[in-house]
Amino acid sequence: MIEVSTAASTGPGRRLRRPAAWLGGALAALLALGTALAQPYQEAPMLAELVAAGELPPVEERLPEEPLVIEPFEGIGTYGGVIRRGFTGPGDHNNYTRWAYDSLLRFSVDGSEIVPHIIRAWEPSEDFHTWTLHLRPGMKWSDGHPFTADALLFYYEAVLQNEELTPSVPVWIANHDGTLAAMRAIDDYTVEVEFDFPYTLFPMELTFRDGGDRTLAAHLPGHYLAQFHPDYGDPEEIARMVSEAGLNDWTQLFMQKGIITDNPERPSTAAWVPYRSSVSDQVFTLRRNPYYFAVDPAGNQLPYVDEIQFRFFADVEALNFAAVAGELDMQDRHIQLTNYPVLVENAERSGYRVITWPTFGGNDAALWVNQQYTIDPELGELLANRDFRIALSIGIDREEIREAAFLGLGEIRQPVAAPWHPYYPGDEYAFQHTEFDPERANEILDGLGLQRGPNGMRTLPSGAPLRLEISVVPAFGPWPDVAQLIASDFADLGLTTDVQVRERTAHFTMRDANELIMEIWNEDTSGFPFTGNPKIDPRSDPATIFAVESRTWYATDGERGREPTPEIARIVEIIEEAKTVGTDRQIELAQELNRLVADQLYGIGTVGLTPMIQGVVVVNANLANVPDLVANDWPLRTPGDARPETFFYR
Amino acid sequence: MHWYILKRLAIVPLMLFLFSVIAFALIQAPPGDFLTSYIAELAQGGSSLDQAQIDALRRQYGLDRPIYEQYFLWVGSLLKGDLGISLEWRRSNAELIGERLLLTLALTTGSLIFTWLVAIPIGIVSATRQYSAVDYLFTVLNYVGLATPNFMLALVLMWVAFDRFGVSVTGLFSPEYAQAPWSWARFADLMSHIWLPMIVLGVAGTAQIARVVRANLLDELGKPYAEMARAKGLPEWKLVLKYPTRVAIAPVVSTLGWYFPQLLSGGLVVSVVMSLPTVGPLLLRALVGQDMYLAGTIILIFCVLTVIGTLVSDILLAVLDPRIRMDAA
Repeated sequence: MIEVSTAASTGPGRRLRRPAAWLGGALAALLALGTALAQPYQEAPMLAELVAAGELPPVEERLPEEPLVIEPFEGIGTYGGVIRRGFTGPGDHNNYTRWAYDSLLRFSVDGSEIVPHIIRAWEPSEDFHTWTLHLRPGMKWSDGHPFTADALLFYYEAVLQNEELTPSVPVWIANHDGTLAAMRAIDDYTVEVEFDFPYTLFPMELTFRDGGDRTLAAHLPGHYLAQFHPDYGDPEEIARMVSEAGLNDWTQLFMQKGIITDNPERPSTAAWVPYRSSVSDQVFTLRRNPYYFAVDPAGNQLPYVDEIQFRFFADVEALNFAAVAGELDMQDRHIQLTNYPVLVENAERSGYRVITWPTFGGNDAALWVNQQYTIDPELGELLANRDFRIALSIGIDREEIREAAFLGLGEIRQPVAAPWHPYYPGDEYAFQHTEFDPERANEILDGLGLQRGPNGMRTLPSGAPLRLEISVVPAFGPWPDVAQLIASDFADLGLTTDVQVRERTAHFTMRDANELIMEIWNEDTSGFPFTGNPKIDPRSDPATIFAVESRTWYATDGERGREPTPEIARIVEIIEEAKTVGTDRQIELAQELNRLVADQLYGIGTVGLTPMIQGVVVVNANLANVPDLVANDWPLRTPGDARPETFFYR
Repeated sequence: MHWYILKRLAIVPLMLFLFSVIAFALIQAPPGDFLTSYIAELAQGGSSLDQAQIDALRRQYGLDRPIYEQYFLWVGSLLKGDLGISLEWRRSNAELIGERLLLTLALTTGSLIFTWLVAIPIGIVSATRQYSAVDYLFTVLNYVGLATPNFMLALVLMWVAFDRFGVSVTGLFSPEYAQAPWSWARFADLMSHIWLPMIVLGVAGTAQIARVVRANLLDELGKPYAEMARAKGLPEWKLVLKYPTRVAIAPVVSTLGWYFPQLLSGGLVVSVVMSLPTVGPLLLRALVGQDMYLAGTIILIFCVLTVIGTLVSDILLAVLDPRIRMDAA
């Protein structure tokens, strides 16, 4: 809209000289006919009614001066309707987070770049020490209160600087020396954040601070939350509210009031806001935010759909069954890969279509090998031997796993970035050691001195029995099957291998105690190796089993735990350097990291790029603008990165 | 009799104390705590908390305190009549359990009544027409009913309902009534949903009770008092219903005590499969997620119900059979 009206104001003189501008002028003239009759921005009928009744200001006053324009996938939509989704209770709060994708900055649909959202523009200082963030003048919270720099400053002062709410400074906003970075408001719509080191990943970190994982978001409605904070509110009143709610202290109250999935009264900036319900209800309902700051290219305020209903299911299978029966309009989360055939079979009858969004690179079932196993030192030494891991890798019949466990979907590969991603190390690394070659595997194992006993099974070089174990959590669909298939392949190599299916808490506890030999887990962080908790970073917690002792070593500055090998230490060096350099160097470093992953085989990849994690998508046949392909990952908040505010019913 | 009831009631607090200790200890037995399992759940969704966040949460939940302290905190608030707050749901346990318990009891009582209404007549007919075609038919049906796991039956019925009528028969309410306040429309909606799980839950019990009634009645029918009544010319149906049947269903009544907790927990798999908003799935979730205060509270409530159920069945027995006198025992 803005561009069109600018073109119109340049007048007819310029349009003869510049064809593009001329086109714009003609378009503007056409639209001017329309605007003479209607307003430049349009809104949903349910909001127009409220405006007519005088309960809501007109749409021009609700939108910022420069609204975000979201390009729909297929075309301009129409208003109305309800999208029904399923969720599994209060622990499933990220179901909302992913849908809302209410962050300061967002990722593009293909996950390749960071794009404006609440922050309309941002730029670093020359030395990458200082970041300047520009907000949208005129933008409002969902209760109509102006959205200004206060939103960020309140989070900074009330949350980050408060030791009770934030006992230790989160890494993403810490200086190199561990202290809190400096944040200040230049004016109402400009915020500056200053670090004591060149910090190039800051904008990316901002995309993650949307209140996911039931944390407080980096933009908070201070005008509402101040009353629950002793630095601003009335201490007696706060004490009364704490005891009335049966809580222990004010921090619990503040969290409960500040987390949107717990408290429908908290103002928000998302396209839909909770309506008289929370994530612990049987139906969690969201209604359109009348102040949502985004429009489509035709000037229609988004979202198109009026209401979102999350229906509670105690059991994931019951949720899948409801999807098969066509009772859910858009469901990706909790749909199980194993149900894919049943879903396709009933699609026409129940009035939905099934699309698949592959995982964002990495691997959907990698065999992670403990590099620091200490319970049996001789076995530990063997596991840390790269040749042994190569033998394991080429001893796995991946085609069988792909067919039997992944329904023939996905690609056989090592846990490296996706081929379309700039971090991809090349085919020679992605497919390294993935060929099924039991003959060579046996040669390697023989060479390592693992003699076969009378029963055909191998022993350790000392003659002690050799017993491997794969610990597996039935977290995602087919992991126990993958473990069984791998174990039988290993048995063919003469390696006795047990599969232990464990409840996830037990598995996590044993992992932390460094009691596991091997585990099946995925590598879903290969597109984001420098932020969050990358699986390949030995310091991540929870991550995988491959270097638990070194995690302690890093956490205690070398006092306890085990010093990492040069290769593992190199991973940490790469990650630390990447945080401080520009994009080109980051890509070089990421590719080096990916080559190291494929070379060292700490996690032996089987199959990747399947729709295993929330990638089987059931969509109402009449729901439009749902992209056929979306970068699918938690840091991208899928399906939020598909821009649900543009979905509409035909 | 009054003394007997009072005596029984007097030991309830002691039993509850023991139950509370056992329940709490059992819930604490698996490795980790609520946060470990919460972190594991988040990791499953692809996300993770950093150590600073985990520490803050552990402190907030009071999980950094010793276990005995956590126990006394819980019991202390229970004594004050406060059922505490669920770690996972962040709501008061009373609120969470309240309506679910009501629905569970409605479902349980309904399926119990269904069971008795179907099982006792079948038992009587089978016994009085022993070795007839009807008896054989019921016998076969009974064994099939007894041998079919109820969750299997639920799954089959759900699939049939979807395949034939294109509807999913999960839950106890239509989505529009799930959250609504109680009204006639909501009650009617509940009634239109509750019959299927009621039957599913009742089928195995029906088969069992029908067999028990049949066997007991067969014993009674040949006894001298029955012959006597017959000799005096009492119509057969009147005779059967008035005397032997009363004796025959006594064991059925005495099973009431364990029937209630069995239905509460036995209905668990069915409730999970059919996504029923009852207490069973809530307890399962609380146990898996190590939401110890919620799980402990539900288990305590189950214990209270079992104690009450046993008491009620004892009293009913005394009423039903005048030969049983509590004071003499």
